Amino acid sequence: MKPLQQLTTEAYRQKRRLVSPLMGFPGLSLTHSTIKLAQQNVDEHFKVLKALAERFHPDLIFPLMDLSVEANALGRYTVFPCRESATVPKDDFNIEDLELLRNINIAFDTRLRGVVETVRLMSKKLPADIMKGAYVTGPYSLAALIMGAEDAAMAAVMDTDKLNKLCNFAKEKIQQYIRLLVDAGAEAVCLLEPTAVMLSPEDFEQYSAAFIREICNEYKNSDIAIIYHTCGNTMHLVEKMAGSGVDAVSLDSPEAGVDLPGVADIISSDVVIIGNINPTGTILSGTSDMVREEVSSLLRSMDSYPNFVLSTGCDLPEDVPLENIAAFMQTGREYRIS
Amino acid sequence: MEKEELLQKILHCVENGKVNNAAPYPPNMKGKDGADEWTKKALEEGIGPDEILSEALIKAMDVVGKKFSEKKIFVPQMLISAKAMNAAMEHLKPYFQSGAVKKKGLFIIGTVAGDLHDIGKNLVGMIVEGAGWEVLDLGVDVNSRKFLDAIGSHKDAVVGLSALLTTTMANMKTIAQDIKQQYPEVPLIIGGAPVNENFKTEIGADGYAPDPQGAVSYLNSLIA
Ligand code: B12
Repeated sequence: MKPLQQLTTEAYRQKRRLVSPLMGFPGLSLTHSTIKLAQQNVDEHFKVLKALAERFHPDLIFPLMDLSVEANALGRYTVFPCRESATVPKDDFNIEDLELLRNINIAFDTRLRGVVETVRLMSKKLPADIMKGAYVTGPYSLAALIMGAEDAAMAAVMDTDKLNKLCNFAKEKIQQYIRLLVDAGAEAVCLLEPTAVMLSPEDFEQYSAAFIREICNEYKNSDIAIIYHTCGNTMHLVEKMAGSGVDAVSLDSPEAGVDLPGVADIISSDVVIIGNINPTGTILSGTSDMVREEVSSLLRSMDSYPNFVLSTGCDLPEDVPLENIAAFMQTGREYRIS
Repeated sequence: MEKEELLQKILHCVENGKVNNAAPYPPNMKGKDGADEWTKKALEEGIGPDEILSEALIKAMDVVGKKFSEKKIFVPQMLISAKAMNAAMEHLKPYFQSGAVKKKGLFIIGTVAGDLHDIGKNLVGMIVEGAGWEVLDLGVDVNSRKFLDAIGSHKDAVVGLSALLTTTMANMKTIAQDIKQQYPEVPLIIGGAPVNENFKTEIGADGYAPDPQGAVSYLNSLIA
């Protein structure tokens, strides 16, 4: 058993839950920073995470989510709004260009290195009882960033060879990135595959899960936990996700359509389920009491499942009030399984 | 070939996303004619463009929209069906432009300012077009000014706003209010993952739909 599963099971035996909201951006207010500054500057980035760790002490912590890092490292056009995450807008792409992209060594990219160095700082300087995670863009989502999300969806049925080639290429670059992150001290790697929510289960298997399986194989006999995150309504995809060999799946909120106890009923209990408080609902615009209520009710609904970690359905937006995160943490910490 | 059979062929091609003879999808129709060829043939055989629209295209896209709502097909399959519909539509366009065939009305759609997400908006546009409406797509990152200009030149249009970010929902509200202030009688429908019925009421829009099928029901209810 890997540490993530071990800790989850151990907590369950003690009638507790591990608690780890996907928070990053709300921490910017603690250091008076901005998304742009933090996504481009290692010290600034680490300061935010350190402040979050000190304030909330989650069981698992991640850097700020940034889905543009890998595509940007591969030379794709990227924009950097001050108060929003960096984004890769649609740009022209020919499959013939793939050979040019192949020659790019992403390890030399400043921003990608920046994330790796941030993870190194997390590993060295944050408390040992907080597990250090890292985000990586999944193969299909990276392919979609490179060729455009609509074209990728279309290619899933019209141009299967081309898309397969691109996803396989994405997988190879991702593998290289993960090795750097693990070397820097990442103990859990969360593969973000938001764009794949659009696919049919068969296409999802072909363009995402099959490649994730290859990535998992590399870490089978290690302590590194691989987490599969897809946002949106993934009820038609969870079996493919859980069956890909990952150690955990991270799923979106009930409002997005995900029924977490329902998921727990159909997937293997060896796979940890991470979720799924709505990141843009009560926690963003409700009171702390409402947050406590929502979190308790989720915890209660998962009582009979050992393989559960309390989290949010996706990354929390910057405007989430810190007292609501505190309410989330406190409710999670104090809860006892009955 | 019988008229019924030709219309059936077109319907089948659009429903299953067979664009033209050269298209590799769906695999079981490889090498066969698609919506493109069959529509051309139907017109040559003297079938009216209005009949092709109502008996083949609208019916096919209705099935496609329903299958999508029921999660029997997914975004790629729906995009391909819309593409097949477009291939057929290309042949019908000259008749619409000449006024020989009437559309149900004009639908102006755009993704609101600050928001670049357009896949959902595009799907809504395509399905609405397939339902017999003319569609004017203003693209992404569209501000009040652009919507108002478009409405100014088409005062009998219905307007659709799309937003995918919680941050741009605020812009949707501003745009909706700007439109309603200047053109209170213009029907306004909103959509996109984070918006809902409550938000529709809050910003003073007239309709909300979770998917393209719902958008079509709303539009058709306006002319019923
Ligand atoms: C693809 C995608 C992108 C692509 C967009 C490509 C494109 N050409 O559209 C790119 C990479 C550019 C992108 C960028 C960003 N994205 Co984005 N993106 C997505 C993703 C993965 C899928 C969205 C999608 O296309 N869904 C499929 C379509 C078919 O569904 P839909 O849009 O909901 O549309 C349906 C209905 O809502 C309805 N509908 C839609 N419009 C309308 C209009 C009317 C009138 C009606 C009636 C109905 C209707 O009909 C459609 C069909 O059923 C979602 C996550 C997810 N899994 O949903 C995130 C997501 C929307 N993005 C998100 C974010 C935060 C961003 C970024 C800020 C940063 C980032 N994380 O990358 C930037 C912002 C850029 C900007 N300024 O807009 C968040 C939004 C969180 C929130 N609620 O605010 C999401 C939810 C992911 C997440 N959890 O982080 N993104």
